Amino acid sequence: MKRILSSVTDGKGFDIGLVVLPLGFLFVMSGLPLVYNVVMSFQEVDMFSLGSFARPFVGFRNYVDLFSQHETRPILFNTALFVVASIAGQFAIGFGLALFFWTNFPGASWLRGLFLVSWVMPGLVVGAIWNWILSGDFGVLNFLLRETGVIDGNIFWRSDPNYSLWAVIIANIWLGTSFNMILLSVGLSGIPKDLYEAAELDGANALQRFWTITLPMMRSTIGAIIALGLIFTLQQFDLFAAITSGGPNNTSNVTQYWAWDLSFRQYDFAKGATISVIMIVFVMFASVVYVRSTRHEVRG
Amino acid sequence: MSEQFRNRLMLAVALVLAAIYLFPLYWMYITALKTGSAMFATPPKFWPSEPQWRIYADVWQSRNMGRYLWNSLVIAFGSVALISVLGVGCAYVLARYRNVWVDIGLFLILMLQVLPASLMITPIFVGFSQFGLLDTPRFAVILAIAAKSMPFFVVLVRATFMSVPMELEEAALVDGNSRIGAFFNIVLPLARNGILVSAILIFMQAFGEFVYSKSMIQDIELQPASVGLNSFMGPNTNEWNNIMAYATIYVTPILAAFILLQRRIVSGLTSGALK
Repeated sequence: MKRILSSVTDGKGFDIGLVVLPLGFLFVMSGLPLVYNVVMSFQEVDMFSLGSFARPFVGFRNYVDLFSQHETRPILFNTALFVVASIAGQFAIGFGLALFFWTNFPGASWLRGLFLVSWVMPGLVVGAIWNWILSGDFGVLNFLLRETGVIDGNIFWRSDPNYSLWAVIIANIWLGTSFNMILLSVGLSGIPKDLYEAAELDGANALQRFWTITLPMMRSTIGAIIALGLIFTLQQFDLFAAITSGGPNNTSNVTQYWAWDLSFRQYDFAKGATISVIMIVFVMFASVVYVRSTRHEVRG
Repeated sequence: MSEQFRNRLMLAVALVLAAIYLFPLYWMYITALKTGSAMFATPPKFWPSEPQWRIYADVWQSRNMGRYLWNSLVIAFGSVALISVLGVGCAYVLARYRNVWVDIGLFLILMLQVLPASLMITPIFVGFSQFGLLDTPRFAVILAIAAKSMPFFVVLVRATFMSVPMELEEAALVDGNSRIGAFFNIVLPLARNGILVSAILIFMQAFGEFVYSKSMIQDIELQPASVGLNSFMGPNTNEWNNIMAYATIYVTPILAAFILLQRRIVSGLTSGALK
Protein backbone atom coordinates (compact mmCIF):
# COMPACT_ATOMS: atom_id res chain seq x y z
CA MET A 1 0.00 0.00 0.00
CA LYS A 2 2.79 2.35 0.93
CA ARG A 3 4.62 1.55 -2.29
CA ILE A 4 1.56 2.38 -4.36
CA LEU A 5 1.11 5.62 -2.46
CA SER A 6 4.69 6.73 -2.96
CA SER A 7 4.50 5.75 -6.61
CA VAL A 8 1.49 8.04 -7.00
CA THR A 9 3.27 11.00 -5.43
CA ASP A 10 6.71 10.33 -6.83
CA GLY A 11 6.93 7.89 -9.71
CA LYS A 12 5.28 6.29 -12.68
CA GLY A 13 2.00 6.12 -10.79
CA PHE A 14 1.84 9.91 -10.90
CA ASP A 15 1.85 9.97 -14.70
CA ILE A 16 -0.53 7.05 -15.00
CA GLY A 17 -2.94 8.67 -12.58
CA LEU A 18 -2.87 11.92 -14.52
CA VAL A 19 -3.66 10.16 -17.80
CA VAL A 20 -6.08 7.47 -16.72
CA LEU A 21 -8.61 9.79 -15.12
CA PRO A 22 -9.21 12.04 -18.18
CA LEU A 23 -9.03 9.14 -20.62
CA GLY A 24 -11.54 7.28 -18.49
CA PHE A 25 -13.80 10.30 -18.50
CA LEU A 26 -13.51 10.59 -22.29
CA PHE A 27 -14.18 6.88 -22.66
CA VAL A 28 -17.37 7.08 -20.60
CA MET A 29 -18.61 10.37 -22.10
CA SER A 30 -17.55 9.95 -25.75
CA GLY A 31 -16.56 6.35 -26.32
CA LEU A 32 -19.60 4.69 -24.78
CA PRO A 33 -22.06 7.04 -26.55
CA LEU A 34 -20.35 6.14 -29.83
CA VAL A 35 -20.95 2.45 -29.16
CA TYR A 36 -24.45 3.10 -27.88
CA ASN A 37 -25.17 5.03 -31.06
CA VAL A 38 -24.29 2.00 -33.19
CA VAL A 39 -26.40 -0.24 -30.96
CA MET A 40 -29.42 2.07 -31.20
CA SER A 41 -29.16 2.18 -34.97
CA PHE A 42 -29.96 -1.55 -34.97
CA GLN A 43 -32.83 -1.22 -32.51
CA GLU A 44 -36.39 -0.04 -32.52
CA VAL A 45 -36.46 3.02 -30.27
CA ASP A 46 -39.63 4.93 -29.50
CA MET A 47 -40.92 7.07 -26.69
CA PHE A 48 -41.96 4.05 -24.65
CA SER A 49 -38.75 2.05 -24.91
CA LEU A 50 -36.57 5.14 -24.38
CA GLY A 51 -36.02 4.34 -20.71
CA SER A 52 -35.14 0.66 -21.00
CA PHE A 53 -32.04 -0.99 -22.40
CA ALA A 54 -33.85 -4.08 -23.66
CA ARG A 55 -35.27 -2.92 -26.94
CA PRO A 56 -36.17 -5.17 -29.86
CA PHE A 57 -33.37 -5.58 -32.39
CA VAL A 58 -34.43 -5.00 -35.96
CA GLY A 59 -31.22 -5.71 -37.87
CA PHE A 60 -30.59 -3.35 -40.75
CA ARG A 61 -34.19 -2.16 -41.00
CA ASN A 62 -33.39 1.38 -39.87
CA TYR A 63 -30.76 1.68 -42.59
CA VAL A 64 -33.06 0.26 -45.26
CA ASP A 65 -35.92 2.52 -44.17
CA LEU A 66 -33.63 5.52 -44.17
CA PHE A 67 -32.44 5.03 -47.73
CA SER A 68 -35.94 4.35 -49.04
CA GLN A 69 -37.14 7.72 -47.74
CA HIS A 70 -37.55 10.20 -50.57
CA GLU A 71 -35.87 13.09 -48.73
CA THR A 72 -32.67 11.15 -48.04
CA ARG A 73 -31.05 11.68 -51.42
CA PRO A 74 -31.63 15.47 -51.61
CA ILE A 75 -30.35 15.90 -48.06
CA LEU A 76 -27.18 13.94 -48.78
CA PHE A 77 -26.71 16.05 -51.89
CA ASN A 78 -27.27 19.23 -49.86
CA THR A 79 -24.65 18.10 -47.37
CA ALA A 80 -22.11 17.53 -50.12
CA LEU A 81 -22.89 20.91 -51.70
CA PHE A 82 -22.74 22.65 -48.33
CA VAL A 83 -19.37 21.12 -47.53
CA VAL A 84 -17.78 21.74 -50.93
CA ALA A 85 -19.08 25.28 -51.37
CA SER A 86 -18.25 26.30 -47.79
CA ILE A 87 -14.71 24.93 -47.94
CA ALA A 88 -14.08 26.41 -51.39
CA GLY A 89 -15.31 29.84 -50.31
CA GLN A 90 -13.54 29.86 -46.96
CA PHE A 91 -10.31 28.63 -48.44
CA ALA A 92 -10.24 30.96 -51.47
CA ILE A 93 -11.06 34.11 -49.49
CA GLY A 94 -8.89 33.02 -46.57
CA PHE A 95 -5.91 32.34 -48.82
CA GLY A 96 -6.33 35.68 -50.59
CA LEU A 97 -6.42 37.54 -47.29
CA ALA A 98 -3.49 35.55 -45.91
CA LEU A 99 -1.38 36.39 -48.97
CA PHE A 100 -2.33 40.05 -48.66
CA PHE A 101 -1.42 40.29 -44.97
CA TRP A 102 1.77 38.35 -45.64
CA THR A 103 3.22 41.41 -47.40
CA ASN A 104 3.85 42.64 -43.88
CA PHE A 105 3.16 46.28 -43.17
CA PRO A 106 2.81 48.01 -39.80
CA GLY A 107 -0.36 46.84 -38.08
CA ALA A 108 -0.76 43.77 -40.31
CA SER A 109 -0.70 41.14 -37.57
CA TRP A 110 -3.05 43.05 -35.30
CA LEU A 111 -5.61 43.65 -38.06
CA ARG A 112 -5.30 40.05 -39.17
CA GLY A 113 -6.09 38.86 -35.65
CA LEU A 114 -9.13 41.12 -35.56
CA PHE A 115 -10.74 39.04 -38.30
CA LEU A 116 -10.95 36.16 -35.86
CA VAL A 117 -13.90 37.78 -34.04
CA SER A 118 -16.18 35.94 -36.46
CA TRP A 119 -14.80 32.71 -35.07
CA VAL A 120 -15.13 33.43 -31.34
CA MET A 121 -18.73 34.64 -31.57
CA PRO A 122 -21.47 32.20 -30.57
CA GLY A 123 -22.82 30.47 -33.68
CA LEU A 124 -26.37 31.45 -32.78
CA VAL A 125 -25.46 35.14 -32.80
CA VAL A 126 -23.74 34.84 -36.18
CA GLY A 127 -26.84 33.08 -37.46
CA ALA A 128 -29.14 35.78 -36.08
CA ILE A 129 -27.13 38.57 -37.70
CA TRP A 130 -27.05 36.85 -41.09
CA ASN A 131 -30.71 35.98 -40.81
CA TRP A 132 -31.42 39.71 -40.61
CA ILE A 133 -28.90 40.69 -43.30
CA LEU A 134 -30.36 38.08 -45.68
CA SER A 135 -34.01 38.88 -45.03
CA GLY A 136 -36.02 39.28 -48.22
CA ASP A 137 -37.72 42.67 -48.24
CA PHE A 138 -35.59 44.62 -45.80
CA GLY A 139 -32.27 42.79 -45.89
CA VAL A 140 -29.22 44.93 -46.39
CA LEU A 141 -27.56 42.39 -48.70
CA ASN A 142 -30.45 42.58 -51.17
CA PHE A 143 -30.22 46.37 -51.00
CA LEU A 144 -26.49 46.35 -51.78
CA LEU A 145 -26.93 43.86 -54.61
CA ARG A 146 -29.76 45.94 -56.10
CA GLU A 147 -27.80 49.16 -55.88
CA THR A 148 -24.80 47.63 -57.59
CA GLY A 149 -27.06 46.19 -60.28
CA VAL A 150 -26.28 42.54 -59.65
CA ILE A 151 -29.95 41.64 -59.18
CA ASP A 152 -33.20 43.27 -60.32
CA GLY A 153 -35.67 41.97 -57.73
CA ASN A 154 -35.24 40.91 -54.13
CA ILE A 155 -33.96 37.42 -53.47
CA PHE A 156 -35.85 35.71 -50.68
CA TRP A 157 -32.79 33.98 -49.34
CA ARG A 158 -34.40 32.09 -46.49
CA SER A 159 -37.71 31.07 -48.06
CA ASP A 160 -36.80 30.52 -51.73
CA PRO A 161 -35.96 26.80 -52.19
CA ASN A 162 -33.30 27.74 -54.75
CA TYR A 163 -31.41 29.98 -52.36
CA SER A 164 -32.10 28.69 -48.83
CA LEU A 165 -29.03 26.46 -48.71
CA TRP A 166 -26.90 29.28 -50.10
CA ALA A 167 -28.05 31.56 -47.31
CA VAL A 168 -26.45 29.19 -44.81
CA ILE A 169 -23.39 28.71 -47.01
CA ILE A 170 -22.79 32.47 -47.17
CA ALA A 171 -22.99 32.75 -43.40
CA ASN A 172 -20.74 29.74 -42.96
CA ILE A 173 -18.13 31.11 -45.35
CA TRP A 174 -18.08 34.34 -43.35
CA LEU A 175 -17.73 32.39 -40.12
CA GLY A 176 -14.89 30.15 -41.27
CA THR A 177 -12.82 32.44 -43.49
CA SER A 178 -10.88 34.02 -40.65
CA PHE A 179 -9.82 30.70 -39.17
CA ASN A 180 -8.59 29.53 -42.58
CA MET A 181 -6.72 32.78 -43.03
CA ILE A 182 -4.94 32.57 -39.66
CA LEU A 183 -3.81 28.99 -40.23
CA LEU A 184 -2.69 29.77 -43.78
CA SER A 185 -0.74 32.76 -42.46
CA VAL A 186 1.11 30.45 -40.09
CA GLY A 187 1.97 28.19 -43.02
CA LEU A 188 3.12 31.11 -45.17
CA SER A 189 5.39 32.51 -42.47
CA GLY A 190 7.12 29.12 -42.31
CA ILE A 191 8.42 29.34 -45.87
CA PRO A 192 12.10 30.39 -45.88
CA LYS A 193 12.52 33.86 -47.39
CA ASP A 194 15.75 33.05 -49.23
CA LEU A 195 13.85 30.74 -51.58
CA TYR A 196 12.05 33.78 -52.93
CA GLU A 197 15.22 35.82 -53.15
CA ALA A 198 16.89 33.08 -55.15
CA ALA A 199 13.89 32.78 -57.47
CA GLU A 200 13.80 36.53 -57.95
CA LEU A 201 17.48 36.55 -58.91
CA ASP A 202 16.72 33.84 -61.45
CA GLY A 203 14.07 36.11 -62.95
CA ALA A 204 10.86 34.36 -61.82
CA ASN A 205 7.85 36.67 -61.73
CA ALA A 206 5.32 36.83 -58.90
CA LEU A 207 2.95 34.30 -60.46
CA GLN A 208 5.75 31.82 -61.15
CA ARG A 209 7.02 32.21 -57.60
CA PHE A 210 3.53 31.50 -56.30
CA TRP A 211 3.14 28.32 -58.37
CA THR A 212 6.62 26.94 -57.90
CA ILE A 213 7.42 27.95 -54.33
CA THR A 214 4.38 29.00 -52.29
CA LEU A 215 1.97 26.26 -53.31
CA PRO A 216 4.39 23.31 -53.09
CA MET A 217 5.77 24.53 -49.76
CA MET A 218 2.24 24.90 -48.40
CA ARG A 219 1.11 21.43 -49.41
CA SER A 220 0.86 19.87 -45.96
CA THR A 221 -0.68 23.02 -44.46
CA ILE A 222 -3.30 23.11 -47.20
CA GLY A 223 -4.06 19.43 -46.71
CA ALA A 224 -4.54 19.95 -42.98
CA ILE A 225 -6.74 23.01 -43.52
CA ILE A 226 -9.00 21.31 -46.06
CA ALA A 227 -9.42 18.36 -43.70
CA LEU A 228 -10.11 20.70 -40.78
CA GLY A 229 -12.60 22.59 -42.96
CA LEU A 230 -14.40 19.33 -43.72
CA ILE A 231 -14.53 18.55 -40.00
CA PHE A 232 -15.81 22.00 -39.08
CA THR A 233 -18.45 22.25 -41.81
CA LEU A 234 -19.80 18.84 -40.83
CA GLN A 235 -20.05 20.17 -37.26
CA GLN A 236 -21.97 23.26 -38.30
CA PHE A 237 -25.38 23.16 -36.69
CA ASP A 238 -26.07 26.53 -35.10
CA LEU A 239 -26.36 28.39 -38.40
CA PHE A 240 -29.05 26.01 -39.65
CA ALA A 241 -30.96 26.38 -36.42
CA ALA A 242 -30.72 30.17 -36.58
CA ILE A 243 -31.30 30.85 -40.29
CA THR A 244 -33.50 28.29 -42.07
CA SER A 245 -34.18 25.39 -39.65
CA GLY A 246 -33.56 23.15 -42.64
CA GLY A 247 -36.53 24.53 -44.54
CA PRO A 248 -38.37 25.28 -46.70
CA ASN A 249 -39.32 21.68 -47.39
CA ASN A 250 -35.84 20.31 -46.54
CA THR A 251 -34.17 22.30 -49.32
CA SER A 252 -31.56 23.58 -46.88
CA ASN A 253 -31.44 20.50 -44.69
CA VAL A 254 -28.16 18.69 -44.17
CA THR A 255 -27.44 15.41 -42.41
CA GLN A 256 -26.13 16.86 -39.16
CA TYR A 257 -29.27 18.97 -38.75
CA TRP A 258 -31.54 16.20 -39.98
CA ALA A 259 -30.17 13.72 -37.42
CA TRP A 260 -31.01 16.14 -34.64
CA ASP A 261 -34.37 16.98 -36.16
CA LEU A 262 -35.35 13.30 -36.37
CA SER A 263 -34.35 12.65 -32.78
CA PHE A 264 -35.62 15.75 -31.04
CA ARG A 265 -38.45 17.01 -33.24
CA GLN A 266 -39.93 13.75 -34.50
CA TYR A 267 -38.70 11.61 -31.57
CA ASP A 268 -37.40 8.97 -33.96
CA PHE A 269 -34.23 8.30 -32.00
CA ALA A 270 -33.35 5.15 -33.95
CA LYS A 271 -33.29 7.03 -37.27
CA GLY A 272 -31.33 9.88 -35.72
CA ALA A 273 -28.79 7.36 -34.45
CA THR A 274 -28.63 5.71 -37.86
CA ILE A 275 -27.73 8.94 -39.64
CA SER A 276 -25.26 9.75 -36.88
CA VAL A 277 -23.47 6.46 -37.41
CA ILE A 278 -23.16 7.05 -41.15
CA MET A 279 -21.91 10.62 -40.75
CA ILE A 280 -19.51 9.80 -37.91
CA VAL A 281 -17.81 7.28 -40.20
CA PHE A 282 -17.34 10.11 -42.72
CA VAL A 283 -15.98 12.50 -40.10
CA MET A 284 -13.61 9.86 -38.76
CA PHE A 285 -12.28 9.43 -42.27
CA ALA A 286 -11.65 13.16 -42.57
CA SER A 287 -9.91 13.25 -39.23
CA VAL A 288 -7.58 10.43 -40.25
CA VAL A 289 -6.59 12.58 -43.24
CA TYR A 290 -6.09 15.53 -40.90
CA VAL A 291 -4.02 13.57 -38.39
CA ARG A 292 -1.90 12.11 -41.18
CA SER A 293 -1.18 15.48 -42.73
CA THR A 294 -0.01 16.89 -39.39
CA ARG A 295 1.63 13.68 -38.25
CA HIS A 296 5.24 14.75 -38.59
CA GLU A 297 4.43 17.77 -36.44
CA VAL A 298 2.57 15.67 -33.87
CA ARG A 299 5.59 13.47 -33.40
CA GLY A 300 7.81 16.50 -33.33
CA MET B 1 7.30 54.24 -54.61
CA SER B 2 8.76 54.93 -51.20
CA GLU B 3 8.60 52.40 -48.42
CA GLN B 4 6.46 54.64 -46.26
CA PHE B 5 3.92 55.31 -48.98
CA ARG B 6 3.63 51.59 -49.69
CA ASN B 7 3.04 50.84 -46.02
CA ARG B 8 0.33 53.48 -45.76
CA LEU B 9 -1.37 52.23 -48.89
CA MET B 10 -1.34 48.65 -47.68
CA LEU B 11 -2.69 49.71 -44.30
CA ALA B 12 -5.51 51.62 -45.98
CA VAL B 13 -6.44 48.60 -48.11
CA ALA B 14 -6.28 46.38 -45.03
CA LEU B 15 -8.60 48.70 -43.14
CA VAL B 16 -11.10 48.61 -46.01
CA LEU B 17 -10.96 44.81 -46.10
CA ALA B 18 -11.46 44.61 -42.34
CA ALA B 19 -14.39 47.04 -42.57
CA ILE B 20 -16.06 44.90 -45.24
CA TYR B 21 -15.45 41.73 -43.28
CA LEU B 22 -16.70 43.16 -40.00
CA PHE B 23 -19.74 44.81 -41.55
CA PRO B 24 -22.17 42.18 -40.16
CA LEU B 25 -21.03 43.09 -36.64
CA TYR B 26 -21.51 46.79 -37.37
CA TRP B 27 -24.96 46.04 -38.73
CA MET B 28 -25.86 44.26 -35.50
CA TYR B 29 -24.86 47.26 -33.38
CA ILE B 30 -26.62 49.75 -35.67
CA THR B 31 -29.84 47.79 -36.06
CA ALA B 32 -30.18 47.51 -32.30
CA LEU B 33 -30.30 51.30 -32.03
CA LYS B 34 -32.88 51.87 -34.76
CA THR B 35 -36.55 52.56 -34.18
CA GLY B 36 -39.15 50.12 -35.42
CA SER B 37 -39.80 52.12 -38.57
CA ALA B 38 -36.20 53.11 -39.31
CA MET B 39 -35.32 49.44 -39.27
CA PHE B 40 -37.56 48.71 -42.26
CA ALA B 41 -36.78 51.89 -44.23
CA THR B 42 -35.79 51.61 -47.88
CA PRO B 43 -33.06 52.55 -48.57
CA PRO B 44 -31.71 51.43 -45.18
CA LYS B 45 -29.91 54.02 -43.08
CA PHE B 46 -26.30 53.20 -42.32
CA TRP B 47 -26.29 55.52 -39.33
CA PRO B 48 -29.17 55.67 -36.85
CA SER B 49 -30.78 59.12 -36.85
CA GLU B 50 -32.40 58.78 -33.42
CA PRO B 51 -30.53 56.08 -31.48
CA GLN B 52 -32.71 54.21 -29.01
CA TRP B 53 -30.39 53.64 -26.08
CA ARG B 54 -33.25 52.50 -23.87
CA ILE B 55 -33.61 49.32 -25.91
CA TYR B 56 -30.87 47.49 -23.99
CA ALA B 57 -32.61 47.93 -20.64
CA ASP B 58 -35.97 47.06 -22.20
CA VAL B 59 -34.75 43.85 -23.83
CA TRP B 60 -32.78 42.90 -20.71
CA GLN B 61 -36.01 43.13 -18.71
CA SER B 62 -38.54 41.75 -21.14
CA ARG B 63 -36.44 38.72 -22.11
CA ASN B 64 -35.20 38.18 -18.56
CA MET B 65 -31.65 38.14 -19.86
CA GLY B 66 -30.03 38.12 -16.45
CA ARG B 67 -31.25 34.59 -15.88
CA TYR B 68 -30.14 33.39 -19.34
CA LEU B 69 -26.67 34.89 -19.02
CA TRP B 70 -26.29 33.51 -15.51
CA ASN B 71 -27.04 30.02 -16.83
CA SER B 72 -24.54 30.52 -19.65
CA LEU B 73 -21.93 31.55 -17.09
CA VAL B 74 -22.66 28.54 -14.89
CA ILE B 75 -22.33 26.19 -17.84
CA ALA B 76 -19.18 27.87 -19.17
CA PHE B 77 -17.41 28.04 -15.80
CA GLY B 78 -18.40 24.49 -14.94
CA SER B 79 -17.09 23.17 -18.24
CA VAL B 80 -13.81 25.09 -17.99
CA ALA B 81 -13.25 23.92 -14.42
CA LEU B 82 -13.90 20.28 -15.25
CA ILE B 83 -11.82 20.41 -18.43
CA SER B 84 -8.91 22.15 -16.72
CA VAL B 85 -8.79 19.75 -13.78
CA LEU B 86 -8.84 16.70 -16.04
CA GLY B 87 -7.07 18.03 -19.11
CA VAL B 88 -3.94 19.72 -17.75
CA GLY B 89 -2.47 16.54 -16.29
CA CYS B 90 -3.30 14.57 -19.41
CA ALA B 91 -1.62 17.16 -21.64
CA TYR B 92 1.43 17.19 -19.38
CA VAL B 93 1.98 13.45 -19.60
CA LEU B 94 1.38 13.41 -23.35
CA ALA B 95 3.97 16.17 -23.75
CA ARG B 96 6.58 14.61 -21.48
CA TYR B 97 6.83 11.16 -23.03
CA ARG B 98 7.51 9.91 -26.53
CA ASN B 99 6.42 6.37 -27.18
CA VAL B 100 3.83 4.29 -28.97
CA TRP B 101 1.29 4.65 -26.18
CA VAL B 102 1.48 8.42 -26.30
CA ASP B 103 1.00 8.31 -30.07
CA ILE B 104 -2.05 6.09 -29.67
CA GLY B 105 -3.45 8.33 -26.93
CA LEU B 106 -2.96 11.43 -29.05
CA PHE B 107 -4.56 9.77 -32.04
CA LEU B 108 -7.61 8.77 -30.01
CA ILE B 109 -7.88 12.27 -28.59
CA LEU B 110 -7.68 13.86 -32.02
CA MET B 111 -10.38 11.49 -33.25
CA LEU B 112 -12.69 12.40 -30.36
CA GLN B 113 -12.12 16.09 -31.09
CA VAL B 114 -13.92 15.89 -34.42
CA LEU B 115 -17.21 14.26 -33.45
CA PRO B 116 -20.03 16.69 -34.32
CA ALA B 117 -22.13 17.61 -31.29
CA SER B 118 -25.39 17.38 -33.22
CA LEU B 119 -24.63 13.75 -34.07
CA MET B 120 -23.42 12.79 -30.59
CA ILE B 121 -26.41 14.32 -28.84
CA THR B 122 -28.76 11.44 -29.74
CA PRO B 123 -26.88 8.69 -27.82
CA ILE B 124 -25.83 11.13 -25.08
CA PHE B 125 -29.42 12.24 -24.52
CA VAL B 126 -30.81 8.72 -24.39
CA GLY B 127 -27.97 7.49 -22.18
CA PHE B 128 -28.16 10.45 -19.81
CA SER B 129 -31.92 10.12 -19.46
CA GLN B 130 -31.52 6.45 -18.57
CA PHE B 131 -29.04 7.28 -15.81
CA GLY B 132 -31.19 10.12 -14.51
CA LEU B 133 -28.64 12.79 -15.37
CA LEU B 134 -31.29 14.89 -17.09
CA ASP B 135 -32.75 15.73 -13.67
CA THR B 136 -29.79 18.08 -13.30
CA PRO B 137 -29.74 19.35 -16.88
CA ARG B 138 -27.06 22.04 -16.51
CA PHE B 139 -24.69 19.49 -15.00
CA ALA B 140 -25.51 17.11 -17.86
CA VAL B 141 -24.66 19.83 -20.38
CA ILE B 142 -21.39 20.55 -18.56
CA LEU B 143 -20.44 16.88 -18.77
CA ALA B 144 -21.27 16.75 -22.48
CA ILE B 145 -19.36 19.95 -23.27
CA ALA B 146 -16.38 18.74 -21.25
CA ALA B 147 -16.25 15.52 -23.25
CA LYS B 148 -16.55 17.47 -26.48
CA SER B 149 -14.01 20.22 -25.79
CA MET B 150 -11.41 18.48 -23.66
CA PRO B 151 -9.51 16.98 -26.63
CA PHE B 152 -9.04 20.47 -28.12
CA PHE B 153 -7.85 21.77 -24.75
CA VAL B 154 -5.41 18.88 -24.34
CA VAL B 155 -3.93 19.51 -27.79
CA LEU B 156 -3.46 23.23 -27.07
CA VAL B 157 -2.03 22.77 -23.58
CA ARG B 158 0.24 19.96 -24.72
CA ALA B 159 1.88 22.42 -27.13
CA THR B 160 2.51 24.72 -24.15
CA PHE B 161 4.07 21.98 -22.04
CA MET B 162 6.33 21.03 -24.94
CA SER B 163 7.91 24.47 -24.69
CA VAL B 164 8.71 24.06 -20.98
CA PRO B 165 12.28 22.69 -20.80
CA MET B 166 12.44 19.27 -19.18
CA GLU B 167 15.80 20.18 -17.60
CA LEU B 168 14.10 22.58 -15.20
CA GLU B 169 11.90 19.82 -13.88
CA GLU B 170 14.82 17.42 -13.60
CA ALA B 171 16.78 20.00 -11.66
CA ALA B 172 13.89 20.33 -9.23
CA LEU B 173 13.82 16.55 -8.78
CA VAL B 174 17.55 16.51 -8.07
CA ASP B 175 17.00 19.22 -5.48
CA GLY B 176 14.73 16.87 -3.60
CA ASN B 177 11.29 17.75 -4.92
CA SER B 178 8.81 14.95 -5.39
CA ARG B 179 7.12 14.54 -8.79
CA ILE B 180 4.02 16.26 -7.44
CA GLY B 181 6.11 19.07 -5.97
CA ALA B 182 8.00 19.61 -9.22
CA PHE B 183 4.77 19.56 -11.21
CA PHE B 184 2.99 22.14 -9.08
CA ASN B 185 5.97 24.38 -8.23
CA ILE B 186 7.95 24.37 -11.47
CA VAL B 187 6.03 23.10 -14.50
CA LEU B 188 2.58 24.53 -13.86
CA PRO B 189 3.74 28.11 -13.18
CA LEU B 190 5.83 28.07 -16.34
CA ALA B 191 2.91 26.86 -18.46
CA ARG B 192 0.39 29.16 -16.77
CA ASN B 193 -0.11 31.56 -19.67
CA GLY B 194 -0.71 28.87 -22.24
CA ILE B 195 -3.18 27.10 -19.98
CA LEU B 196 -4.99 30.36 -19.30
CA VAL B 197 -5.37 31.19 -23.00
CA SER B 198 -6.65 27.69 -23.77
CA ALA B 199 -9.09 27.94 -20.89
CA ILE B 200 -10.37 31.26 -22.24
CA LEU B 201 -10.90 29.73 -25.69
CA ILE B 202 -12.84 26.85 -24.13
CA PHE B 203 -14.83 29.33 -22.06
CA MET B 204 -15.84 31.28 -25.18
CA GLN B 205 -16.96 28.09 -26.90
CA ALA B 206 -18.92 26.88 -23.89
CA PHE B 207 -20.49 30.32 -23.41
CA GLY B 208 -22.02 30.12 -26.90
CA GLU B 209 -22.83 26.41 -26.87
CA PHE B 210 -26.22 25.58 -28.31
CA VAL B 211 -26.93 21.98 -29.40
CA TYR B 212 -26.52 20.25 -26.05
CA SER B 213 -28.34 22.95 -24.09
CA LYS B 214 -31.20 23.10 -26.57
CA SER B 215 -31.68 19.33 -26.46
CA MET B 216 -31.17 18.59 -22.78
CA ILE B 217 -32.50 21.62 -20.90
CA GLN B 218 -36.29 21.77 -21.09
CA ASP B 219 -36.84 24.04 -18.10
CA ILE B 220 -36.74 27.67 -19.26
CA GLU B 221 -35.38 28.70 -15.85
CA LEU B 222 -32.17 26.80 -16.57
CA GLN B 223 -31.62 27.60 -20.25
CA PRO B 224 -28.54 29.55 -21.38
CA ALA B 225 -28.52 32.69 -23.55
CA SER B 226 -28.02 30.81 -26.83
CA VAL B 227 -31.27 28.89 -26.35
CA GLY B 228 -32.96 32.12 -25.26
CA LEU B 229 -31.87 33.81 -28.49
CA ASN B 230 -33.17 30.88 -30.49
CA SER B 231 -36.61 31.02 -28.90
CA PHE B 232 -36.64 34.81 -29.39
CA MET B 233 -36.25 34.33 -33.16
CA GLY B 234 -39.55 32.80 -34.17
CA PRO B 235 -40.04 31.88 -37.83
CA ASN B 236 -41.78 35.13 -38.76
CA THR B 237 -40.29 37.60 -36.37
CA ASN B 238 -40.02 41.29 -37.13
CA GLU B 239 -38.52 42.48 -33.86
CA TRP B 240 -35.08 42.65 -35.38
CA ASN B 241 -33.95 45.65 -33.37
CA ASN B 242 -34.77 43.80 -30.14
CA ILE B 243 -33.07 40.63 -31.34
CA MET B 244 -29.97 42.57 -32.32
CA ALA B 245 -29.99 44.29 -28.92
CA TYR B 246 -30.14 40.86 -27.29
CA ALA B 247 -27.26 39.68 -29.50
CA THR B 248 -25.28 42.83 -28.63
CA ILE B 249 -25.61 42.27 -24.90
CA TYR B 250 -24.72 38.61 -25.32
CA VAL B 251 -21.71 39.01 -27.56
CA THR B 252 -20.07 42.29 -26.51
CA PRO B 253 -18.31 40.88 -23.40
CA ILE B 254 -16.86 38.07 -25.52
CA LEU B 255 -15.67 40.52 -28.17
CA ALA B 256 -14.13 42.82 -25.56
CA ALA B 257 -12.25 39.94 -23.96
CA PHE B 258 -11.10 38.77 -27.36
CA ILE B 259 -9.79 42.18 -28.44
CA LEU B 260 -7.93 42.66 -25.15
CA LEU B 261 -6.29 39.24 -25.32
CA GLN B 262 -6.14 39.02 -29.10
CA ARG B 263 -2.42 38.52 -29.55
CA ARG B 264 -2.21 35.72 -26.99
CA ILE B 265 -5.34 33.98 -28.20
CA VAL B 266 -4.25 33.99 -31.84
CA SER B 267 -0.77 32.69 -31.05
CA GLY B 268 -2.12 30.05 -28.68
CA LEU B 269 -4.64 28.91 -31.25
CA THR B 270 -2.15 28.67 -34.08
CA SER B 271 0.40 26.78 -32.03
CA GLY B 272 -2.13 24.12 -31.17
CA ALA B 273 -4.27 23.71 -34.23
CA LEU B 274 -1.53 22.72 -36.65
CA LYS B 275 0.74 20.89 -34.26
